[in-house]
Amino acid sequence: MRWFFLIAFIVSVTLFVGIGPRREKFSSPPFEIFPDMDHQYKVRYQKQSPLVDGKAAQRKPVPGTVPMGFVVPEGTAAEGKAVAEFGWAHSDDYFNTGTFGDYYGEGFPEAVTVDEVLLARGKQRFHINCMPCHGEAGNGQGVVSKYWAIPPTANLLDPRVVSMPEGQIFWTITHGKGLMGPYNGTITVKDRWAIVAYVKALQFASSAPLSNPEVKTLFDQAQAAPPVTAAPAGDEEAKPAEEAAKQ
Amino acid sequence: MPNFFPRWTNWLPIKILIGLGCMGTIAVAVLFWVFTPEYSRAGYQPQQPIPFEHTIHAGQLGMDCRYCHTFVEDSAHSNVPNAQVCWNCHSTGKVLSDSPKLEPLRQAMDVNYEGYTGEPIQWVQIHQTPDYAYFNHSVHVNRGVSCVECHGKVNEMEVVFHAKGQSMSFCLECHREPEKALRPLDQVTNLDWKPEDLDRQAFYAYLTGLSKGHGAEAPDYSEEMAEDGPLTQKEIGTKLKEAWSVRPPEDCTTCHR
Repeated sequence: MRWFFLIAFIVSVTLFVGIGPRREKFSSPPFEIFPDMDHQYKVRYQKQSPLVDGKAAQRKPVPGTVPMGFVVPEGTAAEGKAVAEFGWAHSDDYFNTGTFGDYYGEGFPEAVTVDEVLLARGKQRFHINCMPCHGEAGNGQGVVSKYWAIPPTANLLDPRVVSMPEGQIFWTITHGKGLMGPYNGTITVKDRWAIVAYVKALQFASSAPLSNPEVKTLFDQAQAAPPVTAAPAGDEEAKPAEEAAKQ
Repeated sequence: MPNFFPRWTNWLPIKILIGLGCMGTIAVAVLFWVFTPEYSRAGYQPQQPIPFEHTIHAGQLGMDCRYCHTFVEDSAHSNVPNAQVCWNCHSTGKVLSDSPKLEPLRQAMDVNYEGYTGEPIQWVQIHQTPDYAYFNHSVHVNRGVSCVECHGKVNEMEVVFHAKGQSMSFCLECHREPEKALRPLDQVTNLDWKPEDLDRQAFYAYLTGLSKGHGAEAPDYSEEMAEDGPLTQKEIGTKLKEAWSVRPPEDCTTCHR
């Protein structure tokens, strides 16, 4: 009996030492003794599927076809009407393109109502998608410019951008411009219009005269409010500081 | 008739029982330790094709989770970004575009690159719900459950790892007491958020606004507003639970369809 307890003790200690602690970091795929139905053959988002030659389960549309919900081109490719491969759109109206034919449209499309809700949404989306480069105020001094000397990021408060019609800002978000990438894959059409509205609001706010008593009151309130410290207390490296000094 | 069994066998059944008990205990302990996600999945830290650092992007630069995980608010699935999202900043002539670490990105995106294949980057999935459980990201994110509750502080992870064992009990713990996890919607992607940092007046103003949005008459929060002291998670969670009428389902069909 005595031996039994000794052996049991030794066995359990070796087991637990050998197995190791919980939450220990490991890089090999998790070991599954009973995978049960954890991995099924069905198609799930952003996964590979053995049913479609082991590649992405989400297939690209067959070339020359147009998915449901998108607009079928009015003519053939020979007539110059067919859309390029994967270039199809929901529609070629102002809401979806920001243009009327070859011209940028001015104002907001009918489907978009500019109100507080839209502006709040625009602000949120601007902070997510645009702020890293264009800065919270839209002045082109985003957090990225602090660390890397990226070729000039557009200052959205610049007269050049202020004079842009809404459709052109929408078009720029959709297709990108210069070094800016296209955001048509990550921001929905409605949200793009919300961002356009917020950018217009930022431009208006930056040009609002302090002589206006209403603006002055709001400005004073903002000044009196405690500063928002969202900046991470990070290591302000010497390198970006030097770069900033150069500019 | 002589004694057929020697004297020592008198204790044999009891000894066998004790022995079996001991072995059973050890077996259960090992099973409990090894066969739960707390051991088998938590800590999984695979090597990704590109050593992407969340510490830099989400921590140092303070980028929102939703810049890359774009459709987490609209979809059941929180998407891994497509290569275009990386390319927005790391394209030729921009940030670290020559870094050898970004080789897979250039293969996927740079048409002028000799190794261009156009194939997507093969990110390794870390958190994996079993295929018979249906988790919906959007419903959680839109009701004030932060990313950090299930994924840990990703903004402090140089290499992302599975921080919490996401077993069924892990889900149920929260579904039974959702007030331990709820927070205002604008703080959902702020992984460093602390309940005591939230201003009492601002929070109750937010709550009043919430009720207005639902067309209902706002409850009177003047008593709570007059109170002193910092807010606690319990207070915030309970009030938000009321305001949103959060009733997390606990039956099997919630996740297993």
